Amino acid sequence: MAMLDIEGLHVAVGGKEIIRGLDLAVEAGEVHAIMGPNGSGKSTLAHVLAGREDYEVTAGRVRFLGQDLLELEPEERAALGLFLAMQYPVEIPGVSNTYFLRQAVNALRKARGEPEMKPAEFMKRLREAARQVGIREELLRRDLNAGFSGGEKKRNEILQLAMLEPKLAILDETDSGLDIDALKAVAAAVNALRTPERAFLLITHYQRLLNFIVPDRVHVMVDGRIVRSGGKDLALELEERGYEPFLQEAA
Amino acid sequence: MAAPRYRTPPSELVRLGERLLPRLPGDALAEVRQRAWRRFLAAGIPTPRVEDWKYSRIDALMAQPFAAPTATAPAAGTVRRAMAGGPAARRLVFANGRLVAGQSHVGGLPDGMRVMGLAEAIQHRPQEVAAAFEALPAPGPFSDLNTALAADGAWIELNPGVRPEVSLQLVFVAVGEPSAVITHPRVVVRLGAGARLHLLESHVAEGEGHVLTNLVAQLQLAEEAALVHERLQAAEGGHALVGRTVVELSAGARLLANVATLGGAFVRNELEVHLRGEGGEALMNGLYLPRGREQVDTLVRVHHHAGRCHSDQFYKGVVDEQARAAFAGRITVHEGAQDTDAYQQNRNLLLSDEAEVDAKPELEIFADEVRCSHGATVGGLEEAGLFYLRTRGLGRAQAEALLTYAFAGEVVARFRDGKLARQVRQGILARVPGGAALDPEGLVA
Repeated sequence: MAMLDIEGLHVAVGGKEIIRGLDLAVEAGEVHAIMGPNGSGKSTLAHVLAGREDYEVTAGRVRFLGQDLLELEPEERAALGLFLAMQYPVEIPGVSNTYFLRQAVNALRKARGEPEMKPAEFMKRLREAARQVGIREELLRRDLNAGFSGGEKKRNEILQLAMLEPKLAILDETDSGLDIDALKAVAAAVNALRTPERAFLLITHYQRLLNFIVPDRVHVMVDGRIVRSGGKDLALELEERGYEPFLQEAA
Repeated sequence: MAAPRYRTPPSELVRLGERLLPRLPGDALAEVRQRAWRRFLAAGIPTPRVEDWKYSRIDALMAQPFAAPTATAPAAGTVRRAMAGGPAARRLVFANGRLVAGQSHVGGLPDGMRVMGLAEAIQHRPQEVAAAFEALPAPGPFSDLNTALAADGAWIELNPGVRPEVSLQLVFVAVGEPSAVITHPRVVVRLGAGARLHLLESHVAEGEGHVLTNLVAQLQLAEEAALVHERLQAAEGGHALVGRTVVELSAGARLLANVATLGGAFVRNELEVHLRGEGGEALMNGLYLPRGREQVDTLVRVHHHAGRCHSDQFYKGVVDEQARAAFAGRITVHEGAQDTDAYQQNRNLLLSDEAEVDAKPELEIFADEVRCSHGATVGGLEEAGLFYLRTRGLGRAQAEALLTYAFAGEVVARFRDGKLARQVRQGILARVPGGAALDPEGLVA
């Protein structure tokens, strides 16, 4: 069975149906990209998978590692190995980045019945991960995302990804707002985190990111459905022709 | 007939006052005290019909059968736990308003700095004390009660340019007694031109009881003087504080006033700031976390009398269970106070349906060149933050506790004294729901 298996998913936000019959299967070790125009429901999908309570699943099912994902609280999904790198990470003044990460790492370990990570071990790993992602040590001491630039916030999400070691990482428009150097750095960090056990779901508007993180599968999402799936060349086709032909197909 | 705005003072309180008044030391003060006492009797106790007391419920508090305090000294441990300001800090300790000389230490101060109990000041310089009492602007009933009956407190004077390296801490211990007790400590601080002082004020409790501390502090800053005044109110166990602080700033003087209220059946923090000379600065930060049936009033009055001054109020509250908090902040920019910067922010987190917050920001502007802003919010925790933390594996309770702690912690970040800030942070953890379960390592230090 696939690691992530979505069948006939329908989701409404504020009474309006945003996802309208979506099917998707992701295997361990694969990188899938979901591309689509604004308003196609890409980000809604990401948030539903992570457990946003105000998004209403009206039909369909989602299995993750054999479990009914939609039954679980957001923290239970995280403990199971799901991670969402957010497009707009929340600023939390008053809690330091390091403190937050240590609590998150230990909360996951506790939920999995593992002992807490020793502080020295945690700090060693944190410094390593920060170096890998290209985050200055000063940002680790600062309050979580507070006053971070757009690029710093995105890198901080990838730092969390590296520390929390999920089985499935969903990256929601991680490329948006990044200049080319930051994009390359983030992509390099993500590539370094690719393993045969870990799957990625990249949600993006632009093909650009996929020059640096080469996907196994590309899906085109329009109007709440996946209208076309293919290999990495599909992204190039989109780059050339835009979303217009798909919008017409959907209509 | 309309309901009265002031109530006749309870007879127990009047009898106690009339018994104490003739026995208080200092003939030079007798007349000032008598006048204040008569004003108090004539005015009475404010009811919610008085605008500044609109949200305060003090009838039961004032109707207690008060007796004169008899406590002599708190336990050494009580004082030790309250200590802040670093190992070299000088300290005056009070038990139910009375100076405890044996637990105080104000030796070895630099030349030009005098610190003594108010009783001693009354003995040695009665005229100056009388003049200071008389100089209190716009006295109200509680200030009058204090002026009439203040027997002790602190008298602190720094000559021009004196800048002690050590902090000075006033520790007020509310010692539970068999009967309800009311005390009237008075604090007078005078900083000469260019002088600097870091003054800490801690209110703690020893045992359950009903000690009402009616405190008046008069802080006077001459040109270019700088004062940091940090108050921690943590007298849990049925005690109450009505505190009025009046600050007068001359040209170029700077004030940083921080206050954290972490306990007390009724606490009222009144802060009145007069910026009387150009280039003055007043930064005011406050935090209150009432729970149970506690009530916290914050009343801030900032007067810009002179131009080119800067004032900034930043107050936050976390209100839980059946507790009530009121914030009334007024900025008055008087005529001619051009080029004024004045800001005010009041943010409240309401954790229970039964809790209540009343926020009342006010601006009165009589000058043209002014940059002013104010804002007040009352709400719950932000869902976006909760969701973010939960997607990282934190359980709902832990995420809520952490966000609540962080909300309050933003004020503590503005405290200057490390030890006092730590005490405040520990107090927040103890009060915030789920806070005791949070990992303090990395939060409190």
